[in-house]
Amino acid sequence: MSIRLQHIKDHILAANQCAEMSSPPYSPLTTHVLNTGRGIPAASMVISLHLRNHTAASWTLLRTGATNDDGRCPGLITREAFVPGVYKMRFETGRYWEALGETCFYPYVEIVFTITDAAQKFHVPLLLSRFSYSTYRGS
Amino acid sequence: MTTSKTGSLLTTHVLNTADGVPGARMALSLHRLDPQMALWNLVSKGTTDEDGQCSDLISRDEFTAGMYKLRFETRQYWESLCQSSFYPYIEIVFTITDLDQTFHLPLLLSRYSYSTYKGI
Repeated sequence: MSIRLQHIKDHILAANQCAEMSSPPYSPLTTHVLNTGRGIPAASMVISLHLRNHTAASWTLLRTGATNDDGRCPGLITREAFVPGVYKMRFETGRYWEALGETCFYPYVEIVFTITDAAQKFHVPLLLSRFSYSTYRGS
Repeated sequence: MTTSKTGSLLTTHVLNTADGVPGARMALSLHRLDPQMALWNLVSKGTTDEDGQCSDLISRDEFTAGMYKLRFETRQYWESLCQSSFYPYIEIVFTITDLDQTFHLPLLLSRYSYSTYKGI
């Protein structure tokens, strides 16, 4: 193969690798945080996912992360780890608004939900302002 | 928009948005955080009335600045309607700094969604 063709081939392979690296890891559970006070995604918000431990009546921390520039947090949990149970998603809302130079009525938001059919996809978004929030079960 | 009953410092109003009715007879409780012990102390328990409202959750003497939690027993509520719910319970955690205000924290609820806001 000529040197020119080899360079082109190498360039294409590198681009494919970049595409694979930028693909978000699959998670059957997703979230999306929106700052409805400003009409923007809530970026860099620390969130954590917990699973209720029935025997100890306590919570097991599964994952911590932070939302990206789109307000999402890919790769929350793997399909294998996603079992039926009671989960809690905690959003550090006070810290988020503090970073924007503002206060928030809610120091944090915890959304507790029950998963009975772990084969489904679940989307648990948070629409948040300084003095209100909402959530819903999406897919 | 719902507002608090006159004279009550902290009130709530539960609305069942799925059925378009008040969230009546829902058990709830108010807790205050003890920051030194990192524990939640129960302040009061209540049940929403036929209009979905619950007032008199806290007296003037008890109403101090701090972090509070309103917990709604949503699973029990939906079970009494022979339905399941995505949320076994809902806890709304909020910070009180200005004791001269009144606080109205409604809960607009369906089996698969809810919202809340700070009112007066």
